[in-house]
Amino acid sequence: MGPISNATIMKTKLSLLFLFWCIALNAYAQKRTLTVLDKSSSEPIINAHIMDYEDIVFAVTDVNGRVTIPESRERFQVHALGYLLSRFVLSEAADTLFLIPTILHTDQSVVVYAYDGNKANVKDYQSTQSHHTLDHFLNNIDGVSMIQRGAFGWEPSVRGQSDQRMNLTIDGMQIFKACVDKMDPISSYIESNNLSKLKIDKSGSGVAENGNGNSSINLISKKPEFAPFKLDVTSGYRVPDEYRVIAVNSNYSMKNTAFQLSGSIKKASDLHAGKDSVIDNTQFSKMNLNVGMKHVFRSENSVEVNFITDKATDVGYPALLMDATKALANILRVQYNWKDSGNPFQLNSAMVYGNSIRHWMDDYNRDVSQRPVMTGMYMPMYGSTGTLGSKWSGYATIAKHKFEWYLNGFVSEAKGDMLMQSLDTSIEDMYIYNMDDVITKNTSLGGKHSFMLTPRFLIKVEESVSFTSLATNSDNYASMFESLYNKEYKPRNKFLLSGSATAVWLAKENWSLSFSSIYSERLGNHIEMFGHYIYNYVDGYFYDGNPWLKPEKSLNLELNSILELDNHSLSVSLFHKQFSDYISGIVVGDVSNNNFQFKQYQNLGNAIMLGGEIRLMNSFWNNLKTEVRAAYTYAQNTTLNDPLPLIPPLKGMNSVTYTKAGNSFTANMEWALAQNRISNISSIEDKTSSHAIFNAVYSKVLFDGNLTAIVEAKNLFDTYYNEHTSIANIPEAGRSFMLTLKYNF
Amino acid sequence: MKSTFKQSHILVMALLFIAFNACSTSDSDDNDLVLTPINSVVVDGYTVKLSSEAELETGANALYLELEKGGKSVDMKSVTMMPMMDMGTMMHSSPYENPVKFEENDKYFKGMAVFIMPGGEMGSWSINFTIVTESGETVEGSIAIDVASSWKLTSVKDSAGDSYFISWVEPSDPVVGSNDLTFMVHKRVSMMSFPAFADAEVVIYPYMDMGGGQGHSTNFTAPTNKGNGVYSGDINYSMSGTWTTSVELVVANDTLPEVVFEYSVKAK
Repeated sequence: MGPISNATIMKTKLSLLFLFWCIALNAYAQKRTLTVLDKSSSEPIINAHIMDYEDIVFAVTDVNGRVTIPESRERFQVHALGYLLSRFVLSEAADTLFLIPTILHTDQSVVVYAYDGNKANVKDYQSTQSHHTLDHFLNNIDGVSMIQRGAFGWEPSVRGQSDQRMNLTIDGMQIFKACVDKMDPISSYIESNNLSKLKIDKSGSGVAENGNGNSSINLISKKPEFAPFKLDVTSGYRVPDEYRVIAVNSNYSMKNTAFQLSGSIKKASDLHAGKDSVIDNTQFSKMNLNVGMKHVFRSENSVEVNFITDKATDVGYPALLMDATKALANILRVQYNWKDSGNPFQLNSAMVYGNSIRHWMDDYNRDVSQRPVMTGMYMPMYGSTGTLGSKWSGYATIAKHKFEWYLNGFVSEAKGDMLMQSLDTSIEDMYIYNMDDVITKNTSLGGKHSFMLTPRFLIKVEESVSFTSLATNSDNYASMFESLYNKEYKPRNKFLLSGSATAVWLAKENWSLSFSSIYSERLGNHIEMFGHYIYNYVDGYFYDGNPWLKPEKSLNLELNSILELDNHSLSVSLFHKQFSDYISGIVVGDVSNNNFQFKQYQNLGNAIMLGGEIRLMNSFWNNLKTEVRAAYTYAQNTTLNDPLPLIPPLKGMNSVTYTKAGNSFTANMEWALAQNRISNISSIEDKTSSHAIFNAVYSKVLFDGNLTAIVEAKNLFDTYYNEHTSIANIPEAGRSFMLTLKYNF
Repeated sequence: MKSTFKQSHILVMALLFIAFNACSTSDSDDNDLVLTPINSVVVDGYTVKLSSEAELETGANALYLELEKGGKSVDMKSVTMMPMMDMGTMMHSSPYENPVKFEENDKYFKGMAVFIMPGGEMGSWSINFTIVTESGETVEGSIAIDVASSWKLTSVKDSAGDSYFISWVEPSDPVVGSNDLTFMVHKRVSMMSFPAFADAEVVIYPYMDMGGGQGHSTNFTAPTNKGNGVYSGDINYSMSGTWTTSVELVVANDTLPEVVFEYSVKAK
């Protein structure tokens, strides 16, 4: 080996110096953490791409909308699907970056912001009247109708699908109604003033999170906020039904802990329908309380605890033979939220929940001696459900593909019974189990994937596999079904698959098109499989469940288009849903007679639903706004060649709102055409006439915004009418006037 | 990485929680024989004990005989018996089956008797028995018994005046749900002979009268002839309360007058 030259030594020194400089530079490079938020909602934007001007992505925002970038990236642009591309200069940018939403909505669901200022657009709805019942509010959303039974406990129906064919949840929790006569939809256990928003997925494309492809309504309760102390009180009074409500909302926060409380008490006398007619047994009384707490740890992880209790008493059900004396709900949720770890596998949130629903009905205050059905007999009923469940969600990365995952599970027990006490004391009391120890268990695992093929074209794929088990713990009860169907009983266990694929195309900055296809399988619910003598108030039959039902399958194809100009917007949705092994009741002739007629659930071939919704909003001169909504569903059991029951006709709402200097005046018309397509085979319906009613609302803000007064007149011309989805054709409310005062302390 | 490790543990806990949901357990039932002592008698140093599954009543009753001597069970080789009603001015028997060794517990011999009337002022029932022990000794005697009235027996006459006794055997305690349904039919040939009648068709109709002219039936499987006068099917009670089941015997194409069993069905 020869001597090392000075040049070589110098070259080596320079190389080492450069290496140290690089290392030092890398070690001490300045970085900044930015948060990217939606400008309209201030909610974090997940997966926003941080790109250089060559469109090369060098960072992505996390679940909290945060991203850390080196300060060397002086100029960059931010793009997220559904938002306008924005360019920033780092040295001039604030720590929070706001993106302006475009009309490209990656989610097929609509969001209803309950009472939160100006968040509504053509896709999102908004209620400004906090005294509105949740029922009335939902009923005015195109594609949503309410199955009504008087003044209380309306049941939401999305595109003619309700109950077992849709997911109705509170904060994503699975809750089962307790009344076997379906008098207590889950929406009756939450009040509009303790909701922050509703998420409505009409198409059912949210397969991963829901565990199936059913349409869904998620009622999202208010959460504690880290905001200044807030207390507002709302009170209202309506004539002629003497509806009165007092509600309170409050929020208080400390450094790391926030509390929220909302509650309401409401009471109403009998409903007054049009033309001065009073509908007996429509009164109700209700109390609701929602308390929540949120604590943020130093790690930035957080925990939320939320408890809802609801008690309704003296609830009249005019469509039924009996009334609810009491309905109780206790709903507890504990949720832990993880800060984004940046790891390939990430837990976002874990929720554990439990709820108990109990429902008492009787007819002790009715004259049972003269009625045509179940004459001379009292029939107190009791139903209960209890559910424990857990929901987990997060991100995972497999082969460089990052996706969202959802893991859900619940177990629920349902019971229902009825005592029959004859006025004839020589007749022994009779007792029937409508539901005896019926256990539903479900576990589902779902994945949600997004593939942004170009900045204007997105493919979204969701899939879910679920395991569902239904069984009764009562041998006697099981034997009844064995005898009915002459089959050996076993608990019913089934793996079910669902999936959705959505293509979203941002044709222009203000025009998007999306196409979705959703495949879903569902096993019958606990009533369809294990109900016994469940009375159906639509067709008057007593239904028996069928534990051997095959899963019902559906394929939904949906086309959505949204056009949004500065002052005008248009949203159109078209859908076609095909069912196979459609679950419905068929008459059991050998035990039916004139007094009692029985049906059993069976898979009754194929059915279709098709239709659409349209929503047009226009603004003029910044203070005049018009809105037109309309929806139609055609539904037919193609095997029986019979229209499906409880399908609303073409219906809609037109409104005009004028706002100026704290004053707002809205006039609207709710209308529906006649429904002549009625079910005669799978149910027994009658036709419904068309109607149009006119309403007016005036609100004024007083005392520097601390007091809001709202005067509302509904059904101005006192029209006597009923919706097609009103059970037993119970008429809707006639002319009414309501004054609401809301005071912010 | 540490965080991922913890999260993985939590996920495993979640999976365990959900797996727990999918598991189910079931309790097994004990089917131990529980007998009601009826009476006993001492004959030649042997104690003959008569037991049944409940207090004796009109209709079909299982009878269990056991033999003891000095407090110890004695093996029996054969047992014959005959129920006898002493009405003072006359005596008659009733349908019965001679006891055979009870397989589930061989200290008993099990037989059956259909008591066609209750005991009491009208007369008194007894069981005449003859027992042969394994050692060849014969024990003969009679045990007095009380027989209560019940809803589980009825009778009908054909056009020739022959009487048929219809016993409701199962369910002895009807409950909501599916119940095995068993009738026994016996024909009176003489005051001492009531052979099983296996040549009938049994037509039934269950019904619940809810008052006010309202009521309904429930689904059932019509009883079919199983031989030896036994007719079996099943009946599915949809609710508790008072039910009736009408029975028509069809004998040689002749439908005999309808008879009705009325009874209470329990919820559980």
